[in-house]
Amino acid sequence: MSKLSKILGLLVLVTLVLAACAAPETQAPATEAPTEAPMTEAPTAAPTEAPATQAPTEAPVAGEIDCKGAQSGDTVSLLYQWAGEEEARLTEILQPLVDACGIVLEPESTRDQGLLDTRVQAGTPPDVAFWNITQITQYQDQLIAMDTLGASQDSYIPGAIDSGVMDGKWLGLPVKSDIKTIIWYSPVNFEAFGYTPPTTWEELDALVEQMVADGNVPWSMGLESGDATGWTGSDFIQDILLVQQGPDYVMGLIDGSIAYSDAGVKQAYETYGKWAMDEKYAVGGAQGTLSTGFNPAILKVFSDPPEAMMVKQSGFAGGTVTAEYPDLQYGTDYDFFVVPGAKGLQGGSDWMMAFSDKPAVQALVTYLASEQGGANWAAAGFGLSPNKGAAGNFTDEALVKQAEAFYATEGFTPDIGDSIPGGFGSAEWKAIVDYLNGGDLDAALAEAAAVQAEATTK
Amino acid sequence: MATQDIPRIMKHGRVTPWLYLLPALVVMSLFIVYPMINTIALSFSNSDGTASASTLCREGRACWGIFENYRYALTAELNFSSVGAFWSSFWSSSYGNTLKWIIFMVSGTVSIGLLFAVLADRVKYEALAKAILFMPMAISFVGAGVIWKFMYDYGTQQVQIGLLNAIITALGGDPVSWLSTVPLNTFMLIIVGIWIWTGFCMTVLSAAYKSVPDEILEAARVDGASEWTVFWRIIMPIILPTVTVVVTTMVINVLKLFDLVYVMTGGNFKTDVIANRMYTEINTNYNVGRGTAVAVILVLAIIPFVYFNIRRFLAQESMR
Repeated sequence: MSKLSKILGLLVLVTLVLAACAAPETQAPATEAPTEAPMTEAPTAAPTEAPATQAPTEAPVAGEIDCKGAQSGDTVSLLYQWAGEEEARLTEILQPLVDACGIVLEPESTRDQGLLDTRVQAGTPPDVAFWNITQITQYQDQLIAMDTLGASQDSYIPGAIDSGVMDGKWLGLPVKSDIKTIIWYSPVNFEAFGYTPPTTWEELDALVEQMVADGNVPWSMGLESGDATGWTGSDFIQDILLVQQGPDYVMGLIDGSIAYSDAGVKQAYETYGKWAMDEKYAVGGAQGTLSTGFNPAILKVFSDPPEAMMVKQSGFAGGTVTAEYPDLQYGTDYDFFVVPGAKGLQGGSDWMMAFSDKPAVQALVTYLASEQGGANWAAAGFGLSPNKGAAGNFTDEALVKQAEAFYATEGFTPDIGDSIPGGFGSAEWKAIVDYLNGGDLDAALAEAAAVQAEATTK
Repeated sequence: MATQDIPRIMKHGRVTPWLYLLPALVVMSLFIVYPMINTIALSFSNSDGTASASTLCREGRACWGIFENYRYALTAELNFSSVGAFWSSFWSSSYGNTLKWIIFMVSGTVSIGLLFAVLADRVKYEALAKAILFMPMAISFVGAGVIWKFMYDYGTQQVQIGLLNAIITALGGDPVSWLSTVPLNTFMLIIVGIWIWTGFCMTVLSAAYKSVPDEILEAARVDGASEWTVFWRIIMPIILPTVTVVVTTMVINVLKLFDLVYVMTGGNFKTDVIANRMYTEINTNYNVGRGTAVAVILVLAIIPFVYFNIRRFLAQESMR
């Protein structure tokens, strides 16, 4: 009979295991309790409030930080893709806020976007996420509007926040921006052959022909990037569109008023293809372009001997160069010029979005959108910032030059592929890859245009 | 005496079998049945699972109503303008490529595995030969993909760091871009698959081969049968059940294949397969509805082979 009780015991165990599956719901209040405790403690915890009064005296330039009623010990969970040095810079930027308000940041770094998706779908999103513009589109129903959290649109350069506005609601702060409309080159090589950075598209075209005549390969075009292969090409083509058609045309492609199979797009593809598919113009011709990784492609311009004279790549390329060749100096060994003749710039931003409106989140948003937040962002050298407060505060030479173009631009266009939801991004890459691989251009563009039409018709 | 120690409840009664099954049932329903039902439900909804798939219909475009995601999954890659166009678009679609994988990888792994099983049986260093052939099984697919990506590397410089291209250029040939040249690239990927899985097929087939009774073989040889006849008329019929199990297992493996394609080409250059397409739709395009529709189609494609394998297994069990 004692055996029977053992069986019963087993059964109880099984039900316990089953019950454990339902535990998350029952546990939720339990985990909330400890976070509430520090809140009630806060008023009595005078020492932690001391830094708040100290901060302004310590850093007079910093100005006031509005804590928005956040109490010392309040937590903010952050989710972002930065790690290592990049993460350290973000921490540095947020430190004044932490010191002033006593907010406890609970950061989590992951490259896995699936983690964010899962959390949002499970109803347990992070308070704040730093991610791409796509996520703002995707989560527009869950996100809290930035103006209600204390940010002001006036703090940003014109056009910078436009793509973060969904149905009239402003849902994200563009925090870290990168301009893509630039071409990197080696001043040493340019000098050796007597080339000068062009200032118009015609001059660029002439320079390219000159290089070919001299027996040099002008471009390093490699666009291999795993399952994202093609994005380097789509950046290049968008820059060509900015030269040939202008920013309004690009925005037309994004909102769907201009079909991706339009003659202007075809012209840009042909301009790009003429270079990318020919061994004389691009390293390795079509196959070299398709199978060379985008990072190795950058390095080919700075190798000894150089395989190519120029590479069109975003602002991050400078970092790639110094990571591989630490001795190279910006300005003398590697430098860049803005794609000549481009009307407007192409750029991307990492966006900050908020899933919670608690005081600590309000304080964070207010801080990052403030002049001081922008200034600290620029001083940390963590990419560009469209925050007006960042202007004039960059210290990194390459960033200073990029910022010059950034603030002077006549139009800021986001990446076409990132801005159209529903798979247009990968359809665009596929069109480029198919075209370079010998496919029919009209058919490739028609396929991408079909995806574009599907995504942009409401 | 021993039987008396077993509690009565475990001996008989209607409840008893369910008690034994309970842990498996709980795990199965949590991790297999529930996700499966959820997947099927999602495949009939829009891109983020908030509304029915029929809301995706737009005027002037073909639409299958609630089955819209299936329309996309089945027809989006195909070109129906003419028979020739249909065939070429199918053959380079994810379905066509998966078919190529099934035909060439399954036949490749099983035939090479069988050949090695028979040949290794006749040499002294059998264990070593089999160990070498089996070794790739110990490497993860992602690892193998990275290794072979180096093998196939196509450099733009004079010096080729990819082994294959280094050999070709050393012999005076022009380097080939193995992974972006259509239709060569899919076959180059299949070679990697064969490299990984042949060891598995060889091990299973070798065990079957060794179970063939020596007396029968000797009798045949005494009767004057050639080795060729012995193999096809005696060995093959005896190991055929094992061969079919290996074939169906391989077909299931190949249908699920994702890692190699994802790592080596990302599904680009017309090398996409069904499983990679499912991943792309969900994780790159955020089209959960379409991605799960592809997943359901994949499951439906696998079911016959699983069914066949189970039937085979049950038949073997009942013979004992």
